[in-house]
Amino acid sequence: MAASIEAAVESLRQIRITEPPLWLVPKQELSEAVRAASKHLFASLKPHSPKSPFDQLLIEGFDAEQIWQQIDLQSQPLLSNLRREVKKFEKNPEEISKLKEAVKEGKNEKVLEENEPDDVDELDEDDDMDLDEVEEEDEDGEQEEKESGREEDGESEEEERGGIEDKFLKIKELQEYLEDEEEAVEEEDDKLGLFDKYDEDDDDDLGNARYEVFFGTKNNKGSKERTKSRDMLEEDSESDDEQNVDKRRDGLSTHEKEDAELQSKIKQMEKENLDPKVWTMRGEVTAAQRQKNSALEVDLDFEHNVRPAPVITEEVTASLEDLIKSRIATGLFDDVQKAPSVTSKAPREIKELDENKSKKGLAEVYEEEFVRKTDPASAPLSFSDELKKEASMLFKKLCLKLDALSHFHFAPKPVVEDMSIQTNVPALVMEEIAPMAVSDAAMLAPEEVFAGKGDIKEEAELTKAERKRRRANKKRKFKAEAAKRMAKKPREVAPVYSDDGDYSICSAFKS
Amino acid sequence: MSTEAPATMEIESNPLPPKPKFEPLKPHEMSDGRVQFRKVSVPPHRYSPLKKCWMDIYTPVYEQMKIDIRMNLKARKVELKTRPDTPDVSNLQKCADFVQAFMLGFDVPDAIALLRLDELYVESFEIKDVKTLRGEHLSRAIGRLSGKGGKTKFAIENATKTRIVIADSKIHILGSFANMKIARDSLCSLILGSPAGKVYSKLRQVSARLAERF
Repeated sequence: MAASIEAAVESLRQIRITEPPLWLVPKQELSEAVRAASKHLFASLKPHSPKSPFDQLLIEGFDAEQIWQQIDLQSQPLLSNLRREVKKFEKNPEEISKLKEAVKEGKNEKVLEENEPDDVDELDEDDDMDLDEVEEEDEDGEQEEKESGREEDGESEEEERGGIEDKFLKIKELQEYLEDEEEAVEEEDDKLGLFDKYDEDDDDDLGNARYEVFFGTKNNKGSKERTKSRDMLEEDSESDDEQNVDKRRDGLSTHEKEDAELQSKIKQMEKENLDPKVWTMRGEVTAAQRQKNSALEVDLDFEHNVRPAPVITEEVTASLEDLIKSRIATGLFDDVQKAPSVTSKAPREIKELDENKSKKGLAEVYEEEFVRKTDPASAPLSFSDELKKEASMLFKKLCLKLDALSHFHFAPKPVVEDMSIQTNVPALVMEEIAPMAVSDAAMLAPEEVFAGKGDIKEEAELTKAERKRRRANKKRKFKAEAAKRMAKKPREVAPVYSDDGDYSICSAFKS
Repeated sequence: MSTEAPATMEIESNPLPPKPKFEPLKPHEMSDGRVQFRKVSVPPHRYSPLKKCWMDIYTPVYEQMKIDIRMNLKARKVELKTRPDTPDVSNLQKCADFVQAFMLGFDVPDAIALLRLDELYVESFEIKDVKTLRGEHLSRAIGRLSGKGGKTKFAIENATKTRIVIADSKIHILGSFANMKIARDSLCSLILGSPAGKVYSKLRQVSARLAERF
């Protein structure tokens, strides 16, 4: 065992002195040293971890991951155990001293190792206890801190002091008391009011715990002694706090419990009031004055100047689609239409360049110019004037046609006196096109179409007798005319009588 | 006339004879009654057009201007001579200018304007006066001046009321002074290389301004 222990220690030392870069390259002796060291450590910790399934660390034939798992299996419950022990010692400091005595008996390195954490714990516990006392008594803060400091020292020195002092008399504590009393005299003026409360507490406690005041409870080894009545107040206040701490463990009366709760609540609220406020409760806070990302955790309320984005649901989509469909159906697109620009002034006449050879000679050009200057009226029309005239004529014609379509505002066609052949278009056809607007004033009058007298009959309607009568009249007329003509110019007219009958002649004349 | 000693300053000593009235000299009487001549040489390319238009030239010169005109075939010259009844001495010069304009290449109706109007002039210049161009550049410049089918030239003529003759490198302009200036500017800008559209726009502006004056 000793040899193996020595070997383990040797290996540990070797690990310690190895340079870090050497660890980068896997080496046989380093790995063996590490394995031996971890095995030793495992074995040393084995007694303290009851739940470990392994008796010793199995190294041969296992790789790093498996070894690590074994160590982990042992150390996890061990760590939780240790934490529990530490918490226990926090609450009961006297356990530490018990342990310490046990430690002194044992001479193993393991126990020493345990002791070291115990001592550390003890000191920590003292600090914690002192802190608790500070929290409980804010009013006597300064005094208490000093007291607690001295108490700590006192406690540590207590055990070391020997025969002069016993449970009642502690010379160190006596000295401390006298100093504190002098300070208390200065502070009395500030904290008069608070002492009343303490008087009350004192009355309550004094009635119940006379023995404990002097002799301390069996739990509390470090009892304080009180000699002077005046000191008693402070002592009582001190001891009360300690007593309260003790009584919490013992079981307080209902009233005391309520009182304690109330006191703690009061102390809590006072502490809150005195502390600097949370950043949300302060007025204007810049980002530098609060913690990073602390604004994310708080629900800030400020005015949003933009409307929140609409939540798109099925109904919204459906309504939109319906709107689109209806718009497409009606053709009602809200297109932007260009506003018509009003031309402020009349468009200038753009003189077009004539690219053809001018038909007039230069002399005529200057002649026209001269005439236009001197006598504008008699000047022949310029090219632009002729264009204007043609344009105006076209426009007049168009206007006439448009007026004819609108019956209410019809103006008859202006009478243009020019010789043109009048076509005798049947009125019926004209009326079909524009029944209201056509004036047949320009058409031929009926008497112009036919001027006849009497009862007019067609060829088909005539009776035989009438036909014969007509023919006889014609013959008579013709004969009269022929005779007249012969009398005038006997040379030119040749008698055209023939024996075939009158029909041929009559037919010639008819046609 | 009675002579009187000058009694006062108001009364003159000798009544002056009436102012003599001199009629303006007839051209025939000028230079001591000798006849005035003008001779205009005919270039060969205008010979046959002259033959064609002879009567158009002869009639206004002889009838209205009262100037004798004849063609000297041997010397290839047109000769002009005053008559006794020529009314104005400037007639001869005008006729000479008229014939000269015809020889340069202008048409008779255009050249007649010289006879009828006083303020018309003929100006000639060469392309090389504006810019020295050689070979193809010269040909291109001439082409630019005329335009396609002569439309650029006609456009300038119509806009500025002038007549232009482009004969190889020589350019002749007939018109009044201001109009001639505008036409010359347009032609020069064309020679220097500006495109026809630019010249047109300038012409439009200028002619509009000219028209506005009336």
